[in-house]
Amino acid sequence: MARSARRAQLEAAALAPLDWVEERTGLVGGVKYLLFRNVPRDVNWMQTLGSATLTAFLVQATTGVFLAMYYKPDPDRAYESIQHITNDVTLGWLVRGMHKWGASLFIILMFLHMARTFLFGAYKYPRELNWILGVLLLVTGMAEGFTGYLLPWDQTAYWATVVGINLNATAPIAGPFLAQFLQGGANIGSDTLSKFYSIHMLLLPGGIMALIGLHMYLVVRLGVTSPPWSRVAAGRPRHEGAPGGGREGLIREPASEEAS
Amino acid sequence: MASKLKQEQRAEFKRYKEDVQKEGKPFFPYAVFHDTIMSLVVVAVIIGLAVVWKVTADGTEPGLLGPLYTDKADPGTTNFVPRPDWFFYFLFYLLRIFKWPETVVLGTVGIPTLLLILLVGLPFLDRRRERRLLRRPVALVAAVLVVVSMGVLTWKGATAEEALGSELAAKVPAWSQAQGFAGNPKAVAGAKLFAQSGCLNCHVYLGNGAGNLGAPDLSAVGAKNRGADFFKSYVTNPAQYGNRVMGSYAFLGQENLANLGAFLDASKGPKKG
Repeated sequence: MARSARRAQLEAAALAPLDWVEERTGLVGGVKYLLFRNVPRDVNWMQTLGSATLTAFLVQATTGVFLAMYYKPDPDRAYESIQHITNDVTLGWLVRGMHKWGASLFIILMFLHMARTFLFGAYKYPRELNWILGVLLLVTGMAEGFTGYLLPWDQTAYWATVVGINLNATAPIAGPFLAQFLQGGANIGSDTLSKFYSIHMLLLPGGIMALIGLHMYLVVRLGVTSPPWSRVAAGRPRHEGAPGGGREGLIREPASEEAS
Repeated sequence: MASKLKQEQRAEFKRYKEDVQKEGKPFFPYAVFHDTIMSLVVVAVIIGLAVVWKVTADGTEPGLLGPLYTDKADPGTTNFVPRPDWFFYFLFYLLRIFKWPETVVLGTVGIPTLLLILLVGLPFLDRRRERRLLRRPVALVAAVLVVVSMGVLTWKGATAEEALGSELAAKVPAWSQAQGFAGNPKAVAGAKLFAQSGCLNCHVYLGNGAGNLGAPDLSAVGAKNRGADFFKSYVTNPAQYGNRVMGSYAFLGQENLANLGAFLDASKGPKKG
């Protein structure tokens, strides 16, 4: 008896910080729900693409912060600071390399994640909004790619941006104004660079983080889609006398289901 | 009163919630386990690419994955082939399909915008409840078509060797014929520079160029015989001639500016007859 009372005391002591936080925020219950909510029994590997995309974004955010510590957004010094990061800073080549290649992976993973969503029909009721948020994430992600490409201030970067800004200029009505705004002057120079830099590291990441937050809130709220070939019930109409469990999917559905 | 479709959708979602509640598995540790493995793979691939990039390349010398950086940006270069990041190749190639300038807007803005509208509108275009792929033939065919065409355009963009500037540069012989400065090497060099330096992003020359920024047509700019030096100094600093819209092109360097001046002075307007 005494032992179990001691044990209870120990447990209470161990959980005290958690209780302290919970009493003041009420967040613990939410985190518990997040972790221990049920997902369909047959989710598969394709459905890890979303979290893989998030991982790629986190790699970009982390490496980006460290690059920003050494990068100088000025046409006279940008190129030299990139050389300095690549050649002199401890592990600078790794951080820069991860940022460069992580960008491509982030984009590829977004496309794959979108393809999976499309194949699974996971954009249908009630998840339409989440599909739209995803498209916005794709657009902001590609805008990140466009603005980040200029920052090394080498030939590749400079001329690709010249072409990119000229593309913007061809848009009807808003095009020339957009190009003027991006370029920030008569030709691509220091105003362009600082503009691209602030868009790249402040505006777009902020937008992406907000969108990711909403995106994941909706995933948790609406639940993870079960694969369309699911043999588990997950939303199928129940038939009288059908065997339950794993054989549910083998039951031929009534004809009315076919034509919807 | 909700429609029949709405009611069915709601009922199906309600059943889904109940089923997952009853038969699902907890997110932690089951799904998290898979997610973690996948995330580790992603990070490993990123690190692997960074290492291969650094180990095989040396400064501006490309390795397996390209150079660590190219030469420092030089706005005065006239022969650099611009190349965007790979995920813009498809857009980049659309430019070449649509001939500058009348229809280029279709390629740069029209088609991408249309695709984006379709993408955003997808859940509202396809409102059936059916999720099995083989029973969604339209969706399946559309997806395959989009993937294949984006793939082809990206591949074409990756292997394309000419850029917009060089395409315009190909018109230089025709210009020199029409204007009659083929025998003047300085003017021909200036014409090439004119084609490649983005002058045609604002100006029009013999029907080429954008002209959507209100900049004048330069086909007959040399008709007043003001001399090459006048143009050279104008382009060096347009502001001193009261032109506050056009920027200075002094960065092109003296020799290039002299050639450009010779070319503009030689542009008397296409010969009649």
